[in-house]
Amino acid sequence: MESLMLSIVDIRKSYRVGPTEVKVLKGINLTVEKGELLAIIGPSGSGKSTLMHMLGLLEKPDTGTYHIDGTQVIYDDDRVLSTLRNRKIGFVFQQYHLLPKLTALENVCVPLTYRGIKEGEVRKKSLEYLTKVDMQDRANHRPNEMSGGQQQRVAIARALIGSPAIILADEPTGALDTKTGEEIMDLFHRLNREEGITVVIITHNPGLAEQCGRYVKIIDGMIYSA
Amino acid sequence: MRALCENYRRDDLFGMTLLQVNFREASRSLWGSRQRSLLALIGIVIGIGSVIAMVSIGTIVQQEAVRQFKDMGIDIITIRKSFSENKKTEFNMDIIMRITEEKRNILTVAPYLTSGTEINRGRQKFSMEQMGVTASFFDLNKLQIRQGRAVSELDQNRYFCVVGDELADFLRKTGTSKILGSQITAEGRAYTVIGILDKVAEGGLRPYGMNKAMMIPISTALRTFQTPEISTVMARIAPHVSITQIKADISDYFGKKARGMQVEVTSAEELIERMKKQMQMFSLLLGAIGSISLIVGGIGVMNVMLISVSERKSEIGLRRALGAQQSDIQSQFLIESVILCLAGGFIGIILGIGISYLFAFFSKWQFIMSYFSIALGFGVSTVVGVFCGFYPARTAARLDPIKALRS
Ligand SMILES: Nc1ncnc2c1ncn2[C@@H]1O[C@H](COP(=O)(O)OP(=O)(O)O)[C@@H](O)[C@H]1O
Ligand SMILES: [Mg+2]
Repeated sequence: MESLMLSIVDIRKSYRVGPTEVKVLKGINLTVEKGELLAIIGPSGSGKSTLMHMLGLLEKPDTGTYHIDGTQVIYDDDRVLSTLRNRKIGFVFQQYHLLPKLTALENVCVPLTYRGIKEGEVRKKSLEYLTKVDMQDRANHRPNEMSGGQQQRVAIARALIGSPAIILADEPTGALDTKTGEEIMDLFHRLNREEGITVVIITHNPGLAEQCGRYVKIIDGMIYSA
Repeated sequence: MRALCENYRRDDLFGMTLLQVNFREASRSLWGSRQRSLLALIGIVIGIGSVIAMVSIGTIVQQEAVRQFKDMGIDIITIRKSFSENKKTEFNMDIIMRITEEKRNILTVAPYLTSGTEINRGRQKFSMEQMGVTASFFDLNKLQIRQGRAVSELDQNRYFCVVGDELADFLRKTGTSKILGSQITAEGRAYTVIGILDKVAEGGLRPYGMNKAMMIPISTALRTFQTPEISTVMARIAPHVSITQIKADISDYFGKKARGMQVEVTSAEELIERMKKQMQMFSLLLGAIGSISLIVGGIGVMNVMLISVSERKSEIGLRRALGAQQSDIQSQFLIESVILCLAGGFIGIILGIGISYLFAFFSKWQFIMSYFSIALGFGVSTVVGVFCGFYPARTAARLDPIKALRS
């Protein structure tokens, strides 16, 4: 148990669309070890994002249990869930989701502002993490002044700044060209290798998945190890 | 699990960092959509402006009332012939003067009559009042003699005059170096100046235009004026006697002595009442405008906030994903709404002070800044901001983060 970062057991989730019930996750079991770089592949609509939202505590499963970093998740208190998200999870999205009115530096600051750390300290740390993703020169640029790859780097710095237990990246290269995508993947590999950060990357690109330490497949709401 | 949350208690108890950041980001976001923000503010500006004006004017009027009280005392009344009275009966000097003997509540009387006229000095003209007065007139009106003396009982039928401050200025400017003892020609008669008055504040029960007046003995006025009618009798009344009693005494007296003559009595107190009523009407109007504008403005603010929430769904989803609690999102939007209203309140306060300044200026009253009203303005803006921001902020806080992220 010590070496497990997260484990989910028999997670199910369905959505009700009008009269019909759409089963999206049909009993998923998955464990991620500490320091692992795991890829999840699967065709579009197979439930990858839903699973990631589940792992990221944004979605409540219909049934099943979820342990993260040694504690079982209980879904009844927004304060607890938000705090867990803030402390344990670092999200990276396909569409970067940077706040357009904030600079790169300020965007990276956001997770820490919810911890009530002094602003000067937060900004210092933010610059440190921007340097880690090689974006220190763009600290005062706004998202619309940066390329897609640069925005994604800033988003990765934002995911890292809170020292989370795990980085969850949902198709992080999906909006990038092949070369930039590879650079972003290299960054994840480097962070995993050099800093031992646990990463789960969701992709529909089998080539990218094969470079990772381990990958699993999701097809139609069911998980298969490769 | 809960214990875990306790371990991660926020470092700063009062959330100052978040507040600071929220404040800056809210200002930026409002500035980003300033056209829309401004439109929403108009109602708040007018609303707060009216409320401020209302309170400020109230303060100014109150102060004015107190000033008139202090200046003249509340023991002064004026007696005039009733409007319904026919033209034939007139105040009679003897009857007026004897009222103090018969009605003990009337301590002193000062009848007077006025007549507008003009004097010429070379090419220059000066319009002024000629006033026929008694010696008691100076005391009742608290007139200060700067030079010379007042009209006395011994000046009966003589062509002496006491000049007001502005008239004295006019005489000086037109070449009279030694005013006291000089002569003024009015209506074909030459009057010798025996006294000069200090400037006197207008208003209250005082006759109009005393600074421009020349005051002559009432006996002289009754003989020389074209219409020698006593228009008004000022009187000092005994303290601690009800105005109703005074009125009864006076009606009784003139009823008996002056062939049933009807009179109208105005007291300082009534005057102040009338002033307050006037102010209340004005306040009511401003209050109505203020409330309606605040409601309209509040709805405008709520609307702007709702638009802002629906435009920023993905931001809300993202912030939730990064660890914002529902209460963080709620306070973010509440702060934005309060800032919006405070900005409107600030402009409204300036507007309101401007209105009350103009009101004081045109009423010739002294303007004072009401700090209470400024505090009230900021208070009301904050309340409107919280009240109208609450629903949009709660909507934002309760958004499903996934739906907000996927949008
Ligand atoms: N809130 C929802 N309501 C109804 N259906 C949903 C909802 N969220 C996701 N789905 C459905 O679940 C399935 C899986 O979606 P998703 O997890 O986004 O797939 P992927 O990320 O693998 O492309 C899709 O068919 C999608 O339409
Ligand atoms: Mg997806």
